[in-house]
This record gives sequence, structure tokens and C-alpha cells, in this order.
Amino acid sequence: MAQLSARGERDRSAALAIEVAGHVAAPRWWRRVAVRRYVFGYSLLAPAVLFVLLLVGLPFLFSLYLAMSDASVGDPVARFVGLENFRAALESSAFWSSLRNTLVFTVGAAICKALLGTTLAFLLMQPFRGKKVIRALIVMPFTIPIAVSALGWKWMFDSQFSVINWALSRLHLIGDFGTAGWPVWLGEPGLALGSVMFVNVWRSFPFSAIVLMAGLTSVPPEVIDAAKVDGANFLQRFRKVIVPMIAPILFVGGLFDTVFTLSDLSIVYLLTNGGPDGATEILPTLAYQVGIKAGALGRGAAISLFLFPLLLPAMILLLRNLRRREW
Amino acid sequence: MAELTRRDFIRVSGTALGGASIATMLDARQAPAQNRGTTLRMITWSHFVPAYDQWLDKFAREWGEKNGVKVLVDHIPNLELPARYAAEFAAGAGHDLIHFAAQILTGHYYKNLVDMGDVAEPLGKKYGGWMEAATSAAQVNGAWYAVPDYFVPIPVLWRKDLLDQANLATPDTWDKLRIAARTLKSKGHPTGMQFSHCNDANHNWRAVLYCFGARETDPSGQNIVLDSKETRETLRFAKALYEEGMTPEVFSWDDASDNRYLASGVACWIHDAISAYRTTQDTNPDVYKSTYVLPEAAGPGGERKNVGEPTVFAIWKFGKNPVAAKELITYLADHQVEAMTASRGFNMPFLRAQYKKPMPVIGEDPKLSPMQDIEKITAFFGYPGPMSPPAQEVVTTFVIPDMFTRVARGQNIDETVKWGVGEIRRIYAKYKAA
Amino acid sequence: MVRSARQRDVRRHLLIYAGLTPYLVIAIFPIFWMLITALKQEPDLYRMDVVPFWFHLPPTLKNFALLFQSTFYMDWIINTLSISFWVSVITLLTAVPAGYALARLKLPGSENLGIGIFMTYLVPSIILFIPLARVVSVLGLQDKWWSLVVVYPTFTIPFCTWLLMGFFKTVPFEIEEAARVDGCGQFAALLRVVLPVSWPSVITAMIFSFTLSMQDFLYSLAFISVSDNKPVPLGVATELIRGDVYFWGSLMAGALLVGVPVAIVYNLFLDKFISGITGAAIK
Repeated sequence: MAQLSARGERDRSAALAIEVAGHVAAPRWWRRVAVRRYVFGYSLLAPAVLFVLLLVGLPFLFSLYLAMSDASVGDPVARFVGLENFRAALESSAFWSSLRNTLVFTVGAAICKALLGTTLAFLLMQPFRGKKVIRALIVMPFTIPIAVSALGWKWMFDSQFSVINWALSRLHLIGDFGTAGWPVWLGEPGLALGSVMFVNVWRSFPFSAIVLMAGLTSVPPEVIDAAKVDGANFLQRFRKVIVPMIAPILFVGGLFDTVFTLSDLSIVYLLTNGGPDGATEILPTLAYQVGIKAGALGRGAAISLFLFPLLLPAMILLLRNLRRREW
Repeated sequence: MAELTRRDFIRVSGTALGGASIATMLDARQAPAQNRGTTLRMITWSHFVPAYDQWLDKFAREWGEKNGVKVLVDHIPNLELPARYAAEFAAGAGHDLIHFAAQILTGHYYKNLVDMGDVAEPLGKKYGGWMEAATSAAQVNGAWYAVPDYFVPIPVLWRKDLLDQANLATPDTWDKLRIAARTLKSKGHPTGMQFSHCNDANHNWRAVLYCFGARETDPSGQNIVLDSKETRETLRFAKALYEEGMTPEVFSWDDASDNRYLASGVACWIHDAISAYRTTQDTNPDVYKSTYVLPEAAGPGGERKNVGEPTVFAIWKFGKNPVAAKELITYLADHQVEAMTASRGFNMPFLRAQYKKPMPVIGEDPKLSPMQDIEKITAFFGYPGPMSPPAQEVVTTFVIPDMFTRVARGQNIDETVKWGVGEIRRIYAKYKAA
Repeated sequence: MVRSARQRDVRRHLLIYAGLTPYLVIAIFPIFWMLITALKQEPDLYRMDVVPFWFHLPPTLKNFALLFQSTFYMDWIINTLSISFWVSVITLLTAVPAGYALARLKLPGSENLGIGIFMTYLVPSIILFIPLARVVSVLGLQDKWWSLVVVYPTFTIPFCTWLLMGFFKTVPFEIEEAARVDGCGQFAALLRVVLPVSWPSVITAMIFSFTLSMQDFLYSLAFISVSDNKPVPLGVATELIRGDVYFWGSLMAGALLVGVPVAIVYNLFLDKFISGITGAAIK
């Protein structure tokens, strides 16, 4: 069945017929073509697979080994310590707060991106004048290298010269500089986590919107019209018709974005470096501090790989189901 | 901004070299034969005083011209050096001469670093001996695996005009600093020390701890002694200092924020490297005029300890030009006066004889001249133990700044000490096991 | 009649613009602010007593001049373009055939292979850079921008293979069969028939390779320390921050000079891009 569904567009019964016919009429011919196809197929695959195996697979095995050894940056001759490094991580309170922050950061930012992205995608689907210009402006956060735009945000969140605070203060939404009503974005634990999340959302919501636009474009207008005729209101149409139809694209978009977010340490690294009091520490930054800066490579590797056992099965299930579905 | 831009600079020095080429060629003939025709690749941090980088590049290149060595100097930010060294070590290739700043990883890499006894010992003999703290960063198990270059003190920079107006005397104790901050905060001039994850926070709060008589470890660097009445007293003091004399901004600060606080004329005092003094000099001459410098303030028992930032040179065993590298280190130490001048008084020497007064730059500026005694009160991370790998991990995971942050934000002191000591014990235990 | 239709149209436009305003503000304000910062004189940055959104000292190009005169910004741009170009080439040369094979050739195990390739995306770069440093050194590419050409495909290939695999599934089998009937081999059919109809997704993959290459920081930091071999993000972030001094104006100028052109190019291909992803995800 898997083979069948992988065939995609093709008419199922026709395919079956051909296959059956092939089996019965000329097995040797069939086999020959199949072999040729396999050779052809695997040689097409070879460059990508080799590249990925050599430059990610092998190094990854190496990092698994690191995570289970007491290696340091300066000592490659390491002892095997089993799960000791993982245990060490679990013992440290910094690890637990980083894990919590990582989850809050990833999930919270994903929700914001989904909300902003969906609404924006709907707006951008409408025909209107100046669309090209507006679209060009809106994708800009995505195209500026994050290592540098994070610095721009650092400057905007500055405790003293924050332009955001200046504006809010003049609008009398917050107090004056030096009073308790002047928010210190990167200094208050809750605000700090919110701020780094916001930068992540700012950077990626245009991407979410594009992915969702792609999803919405794929919903045939007839389907929506039919739902309209049936008397469904906008929310019902959205929930019952549009969401199920764009679900796969949401999944894939969400997946990519989650992986991006989980592996990206530059925003936190540049904005707060995990402070204040670990309020914005996430697993990648903690792993970097322990593994690279302090040189305890093994424990750093364990921290950075911690989410892997959780993510891996989830992703395999998700991707498999996605592929199995017929549209 | 420095007057000379990089390209102009290259152009200018290029023509100068052209003019001097005959003299250089003559010099080169006397150079040791083994160096001639080799290349020396060196990496160092991007110095906080940009003019120093330009000087160093030129200095190294000219030394190379004289000795027939092609010298290439790369600069990267101090905080990013560890990643670079991890990569170089993994690759088994990289720069021939490396420079640790901020994170001194000698203790991690020493098995793969060239023994430096033949450079460090003669230098010590020639210049009246190394100051005590030098060994903490450059030696492992009593052997030199690095050669100290210079260190960066973190003194008190205070506004004499503001304190004079409030009839306050020179703030030479932490108590006086607290009173100054309390008094002047109401007049719009609070102080600020970082309660955040940045390098300055690690320096500043350790300085206060040490001045108050608290210590992280005993001199062996093996036993944690942080759980003490002095530590609690320091935390209480820090909480009061924060509440009376600072604003919540300090929780978000990075290494640059206190510089701006001083340069913008807000701060009544800050505790920072003199690059802040230089920034103020360049951008706000009025404030600069009345900014004075104190090497360190004294704790309740009169103790003064300044937690400086050491920098050291080291050579990979796989480095391709150890002979030239060692010669350059010695040559640089012999030209310490020029180096210190180029750094505008930022780089403090490790060699005792180089403290002969007047020292370059700081001996000529009456406001900086007290810095000439900094050698006596300098300590580094891990003090009184060495800057060992566990001491480094405590620094990079910000345990000490987090303890101060927790207390300043209202958490119970005993619980905080218990937490901090627990984290530090856990880190040290990992290295003992290994 | 005509007038009311026009009125309705105007009203609809106003509604849409009103709806878009908050998004535009969020997306654009930081960039506007970066631009203003890039054009301001240093003392003008630190004035809180006046409206910060505009100039109180004459605007200056000094920050841009500094980029070109006292850093290797021009080299960084050329390096970034070269890196992105070669990464895109390598990515396409490997991901197009791989995506095609996975999507259309019904190879045994192709589904798991596809998932496996995508999974490599999950391996954290903070650990990966250490073994990769060895690879880079063995290839003799340390401190050369070519090292990044080798390394970046580790994240562009999985992503683009996945993207292209989805898209190739949407191409009707019939056209390929028709080509084969005309005497084309399978490879020729891929080149002459499947690729031409798939070019939106190929462009999508290319743009992605390009943008992903510009988002890296750690690899370039670990592998390149020579100033004139750095790509833009690394060069800007390492040479315009000096510990406790930030060259805000030049930092922002450096970011905008690469970000804005990419945004424009991006937008030119956005429609293709959208249809590229649609195909990839849905089918």
C-alpha cells in the first residue's frame, strides 16, 4: 500500500492494472526495467545521500559518542561514561529552567507566528493595489541576516535609549525613564523571555504568512463557494473547510519552523546571553556555554542532544502520516 | 573612532615600509636563519581600544620584516575565541600563535600546548619576576603552558563633580560608594553594575565578594568555601546597593551598557575597564574632565581585590612556527612601553619591573596614576585558586551573577547561597571525577 | 451605479490597508529604525529629549563610508554572493536528482530515506561544527570561504530535497511518459520535461539555499578568522562590535545593504515561490 500511495497523482486502478498485467505477461521484462530503474534512481540519490551521510551522519555519530564520554575541548582521548552526562544535566537546575524556557519559547512563538501568519495571509490574498510593494516590505525581516537584525533589536530594547520605550512613554502608555513604569525589556525575567520570543516571531512571521498563502491558494474556490452556499459563516468555513485542507502545509511549515527555532541560538545569545538569572537560557545557549566556552564538550553535547530522542519519534510519525495521506 | 582607517593605514604603512626597505633588508640578514622565509599566523581578540589592534598589526608586521617572517594577525571578539579554538583543535590546524582572553582555557588544552618555560622564565628574570596572579592563568601543575601578555583591570570610575556637590569624599570603600549612589540617585545620577549574563557581571560581583573577604575556593582550588558569612554579607550589601542606588536597568545590561551610562553623564560611578573612560573622553569631554579613577574600593575589613581580565599567549603543538612565535612574544614583552601606550593605558603588565613609576600613559594622567598600584590587588577568576577548568565553567554559566540577581530581586539569601554553592559543587565534582 | 461601485472599492481598500497596518508596523518599524540609525551621527543616537525618529544633526553617510573604507565590507559581500552561489549550485545538483528519485521512481525504502534525509536537519550545529572543523581542515579549506561552501549544504540539501520531492510528485506522470514514448531516456525526460515544468520549485529551492546561507553565524565564526574571507553576517557582527563599544550605525548599514536587495529579489519570485511550496507540502 505504501508503494501505491507514493504514486501520488496517478490513477490508482490504472496503476494496479498495469502492475498486474506486468506480473502476468512478462516477469523478466518487468524485472529488467525495475532493475534499471533502481540503478538509475539510486545513482540520482547517491550524491545527496553521500553528502549528508559524510558531513552530517558521521559527525552526528561522533557527537553521540561525545555525549556519552567525558571529552573536553582539549582532550579527544575520552572515557566512555554512558549516560552520565545526561544525568549531570538532569541534576542541574540551569538545565531544567533552560528546558522549560525552550518549550515556552518554541511553543509560544509558534502560536504567535500561526496567528499572525494566518491573518496576514488572508489579507494578502485579497486583490488590492500596492500589493507587491507591501509584500516586499513585509518579507524583509526574513531576509536580513539574523545575527545582525538581532543586534538591531538589542539597540531597540536598550534599557536607556530604547526607541520603543520612548514612543510608549510619549503616548503615556508607560512611565518616564527612571520610574518603575519604564519597562526594562531584557531585564525583567518574564519580559525578557517575551522579548526574545518576539524577535523570533518578528523574523519568521513573514515566512509563516507565505507558507499559509501557499496553503490557501491550494484550496479550490469552488469548495469555499459550496460551503458558502450551505450557509456556513466565515469561522465555520475556516474551521471545517479551510483548516483541514491546509493542515498538511501547516504541519510542514510548523515543522520546519520548529526545527529552525530549536536550533537557533543567535537571538538569545546576542540579546541576553541567557540572563537575567537564566530567565532566557535555552538549551542551545546552555550547551554552548557548557560545551564550548567552558570546554566540557561531553556535557555540552548531551545538553544539545537532549531534545533529540523526544523530537525524533514525533517527527517520524508526523512525516509518515503526512506522506500516507491522499489528497 | 580612530583617525586612521584600516585601508588608509595599510596604505600609509606600506609606503613607509617601502622607504625603509633597505634598512629592513640589512636587519633581516642578522635574523636567525631558521625563521627566514617562514610565515607566522597569529590570532588575538579585537581589542577594546581599536587603536591597539592597528598598532599590534603594524608592530608584528615590522618585526616580521626585520626577521624575514611573514606575519599575519587575525582579530575576533573575545567572547568568540573559545569556539574558534575548539574548531582549530579539532582540525589539528590553525594559528601558530594564539591568545586567550576572557576564557583562559590553558587548563583544558595544556596537553596540546607547547611548553613555554623557555620564554616565561627568562622574561621573569629580566623584568623582576612575574606578579603572583600570573601563574593562575598561565601555569598548569607548575609548568608554563602560556605566557602572560597583559591584563585588564576593572577599577571604579567616579564623577568627582557630582560627589563634590553632595559633599562626599573620595569613595574609596564600598560603603562610601553605596552612600554616593544613594545620595545621588535621588538627583538623577544612580550607579549601575550588571546583574546579567555578561562578562562584567562576573568581574564586578566577584570583586565585591573578594573585597568583603568571601572566597569561592581555598588556595588549592579544590574545596568550595563560598558558603560563608562573608558571602551572605556581600549579598546583603549588593541588595541594598541595588535598591538604594540603581534602577532595574541593570538586569538587562551587557558589557557596553555601563560605558554608555558613564558617557551619557547619568552614572555617578561605575565599575568597569578604562575603555569606558576612553569612550567618555572621545564622546563627552565635560563628563570626562570630572571622571576620576580608583583601582578598587575597600570592603568592611579594609581588603581590596580587583578581579582583572588576564590575556595570555599560547602555542599549539601542531603550530607550524613555534620558534618565531616565541621570539615574537619576547619581542613584544620587551616593547611593553610602546604596547601600553598604544592601548591608551588599558593593558597592564604582568612583569613587576614594568611597574616602575611613572608608567606609560597612566603615569602621566593624574586621574589614572593610582592605577600604577593595581598589581598589588589583582586577582583573577577562581582566586585564590587557579583559573582551572571548573573555575571557568562557574564563570561561563554565570552562577555568581545569578546569585546576586536572585538576591537583588528579593529571594532569600540563605536559599540563594545554598543554590549557588550547590551548582558550584556540582561543577567542581565533575572535574574531580574525571 | 459607477460611483457606488468605486466607493465600495475604495472602502474595501481602506479596510485592507487598515488591516495591514499593524503587520507593516511590526515588520517595518525595526528596519526603518535600523535605517535611521545607520544615517545618524553618533551623538544623535543618544538623545532622549527629542523625537528619535528623525535627525537632529544632519544625516550622514559616514557609517556607510566606514564600512567600505575601514572594513572589508566589499570583500564580505563578494564572499557572501560567491558562497551563496556555490551552495545553491551544489544544493540543486544534489537535491534535484534526489528529490526526483524519491518522488517518482518508487524505489524500495525511498520513504524512509526521505525522512532520514530530512532528519539530519535536527542535528544541532553547536556540536556538529567540531567534527566538521576536521573535515574542513583535511580539505585544506580552513580560513577560506570555500569551507562554508562545503558545510552549508549540510542544511540546504535536506531542506531542498524535501521541498523538491513534494513538488515533483505534482508533475503528472503522463507528460513524462509522453516524452519517453518520443524516445527520451529517463534522464533526458527529467531534464527536458520534468525540470522545465518544475522551475518554480527549483527557484524556491535556490532562494532558500541563498537565505539559509545568510543566516548562519556559528560555522563561519568557527572556520573563518581572516577578515577578508568572512561573509557579511560574520564580518559585520565581529568587526563592528568591540567588546564594550558597538558601532551601531555601521552595523545597521551593513545589515541593510544585504537585506534589502535580497528582499527585492525575494519578492520578484514570491509568486513562484508560493506555488513551489504549495506543491511541496500538499502533494
